[in-house]
Amino acid sequence: MLLLVGTIPMEGLPITFGKVHYQPDKLTIGDYALEGKYVMLGTAAMISAASAACQAAGIEEPYAAVIGDIGMGDGTIKLLKYLTEEIVKTPPSVMTLHYILPTRDPFTNLINAAHSIPNRPFLITDAGALLNAKAVKFSQKFDLFTPDPGELSFLADPDAAHPAYVQHFIFNVDQTEVPKLSQEAYDNGDAPRYMLVKAPIDHVIVEGKVVSVIKEPNVPELEPIGGTGDTITGVVSALISGGMDVAEACAAACKINRTAGELAKPNPATTIAQFIPFIPEAVKKVLNK
Amino acid sequence: MPSRMCYAPSVDIRFYTVIKLLRIGDDPHYDAMEVPGLSEEEKDKALIVFDYIYHAMRAKPVLEEVSIQAREVAPPVEYRTGCDLAVEVDATDVDAAENILIEKGVMILDILFMPKGAKMIPVYLTTLIKTVDYGDYVMVRCGNMKITYQKGSGVIVNISGGGCPDIPYLGMQLYGTVIGQGPRPRSLGRTICAYTLEHAYEKALGIYKKETSKRGR
Repeated sequence: MLLLVGTIPMEGLPITFGKVHYQPDKLTIGDYALEGKYVMLGTAAMISAASAACQAAGIEEPYAAVIGDIGMGDGTIKLLKYLTEEIVKTPPSVMTLHYILPTRDPFTNLINAAHSIPNRPFLITDAGALLNAKAVKFSQKFDLFTPDPGELSFLADPDAAHPAYVQHFIFNVDQTEVPKLSQEAYDNGDAPRYMLVKAPIDHVIVEGKVVSVIKEPNVPELEPIGGTGDTITGVVSALISGGMDVAEACAAACKINRTAGELAKPNPATTIAQFIPFIPEAVKKVLNK
Repeated sequence: MPSRMCYAPSVDIRFYTVIKLLRIGDDPHYDAMEVPGLSEEEKDKALIVFDYIYHAMRAKPVLEEVSIQAREVAPPVEYRTGCDLAVEVDATDVDAAENILIEKGVMILDILFMPKGAKMIPVYLTTLIKTVDYGDYVMVRCGNMKITYQKGSGVIVNISGGGCPDIPYLGMQLYGTVIGQGPRPRSLGRTICAYTLEHAYEKALGIYKKETSKRGR
């Protein structure tokens, strides 16, 4: 079972847990339906992409645990506490943590609970949860990070508490910077075994070393579109939950996102809600389904 | 009321240890005296830390309104969770700073007194800005945050990056608004990502204003 975890920017949304189903402009989590603008942002984009990829690849659709939080962290704390109790009762095989407000004890308690499970879940993190994992020195308790170049710069800077404090920030990803920073982050204990670095040139990293580079199709208009990194995280989570080898799943997820971008023919004003419907076709194309 | 603590770093402030909670009024070392002729580095500094970034983000503008110099920096390790911001002021300004922040509803967690020469990690955002011209659109990136607007109309069409829960919320509030005329990240945001986005917004607004004034000539 794939469990996707994060916050929704909606005040008052209680803890909502259940099986996910995406259809364009509508995302159902258990009995709850998110519609319109709520489908296109942050965690909802990641969950939608995972569901779309599962449907296209014939993988069991994921479960999600979400809560409303607009940045004060109240929802984040409730959700993490709830999952700390629940995860040991019904352990997922893969768990992806996404948009949350970084905290100390609620976060570390959840990860420690996951590690207490025999045959523990494969742990993926992105967004706020990734910042949180590094800040509390829990990076190597995870299996896969999906950073962008800014987040990679942050992971490689042992003193930085947030990407805003990074002294050496990379804007232009090249073949030198990503391998160097990935190795540094791993050697410092601030990166897990696997990383998927999402950028104009994507890199798959295993134990600090580059194992594959994905450049094509190249769609520069994807960069300004908010959520295209979230969709990669959703797709790679789906593929890993379907049993694909982790490094292969990372490379495939990058190709799927790029192919969906090519199919969507985006411009910088395209929304992620307009992009996600192209994921199923991209999955079929890349995986030859 | 916030507590006031004295910290004594051994070599570098990033590796300090807490000695003891110390009330400022009990220690003559921290008497608020202006010493003429001291450089910025030689002055005693105090660090104001906050429970919520929402309050930290409001602190500097509030202090600057009453002419208190403030610098935004990373808080000490013990206060970090991954989304943190503190404000450094001269130790001599602490009482005035505390009073104005409380008066303006900015909630303080602690005030830490730092030894002379303590080096805090500054926010590097002003050096982290990059602009990309997409023809009809301009994307401004600051650190890990990006904002894109349409040339001519100034309408914000995309926000990307970040990882805290207020970023999708800001997206919902800012998409479709005209840059400079709608809500700003600093007024609605509650995290460092929002604070970073504010810098990108400010830069984008500057570019848009220049573009508009050129058209008006």
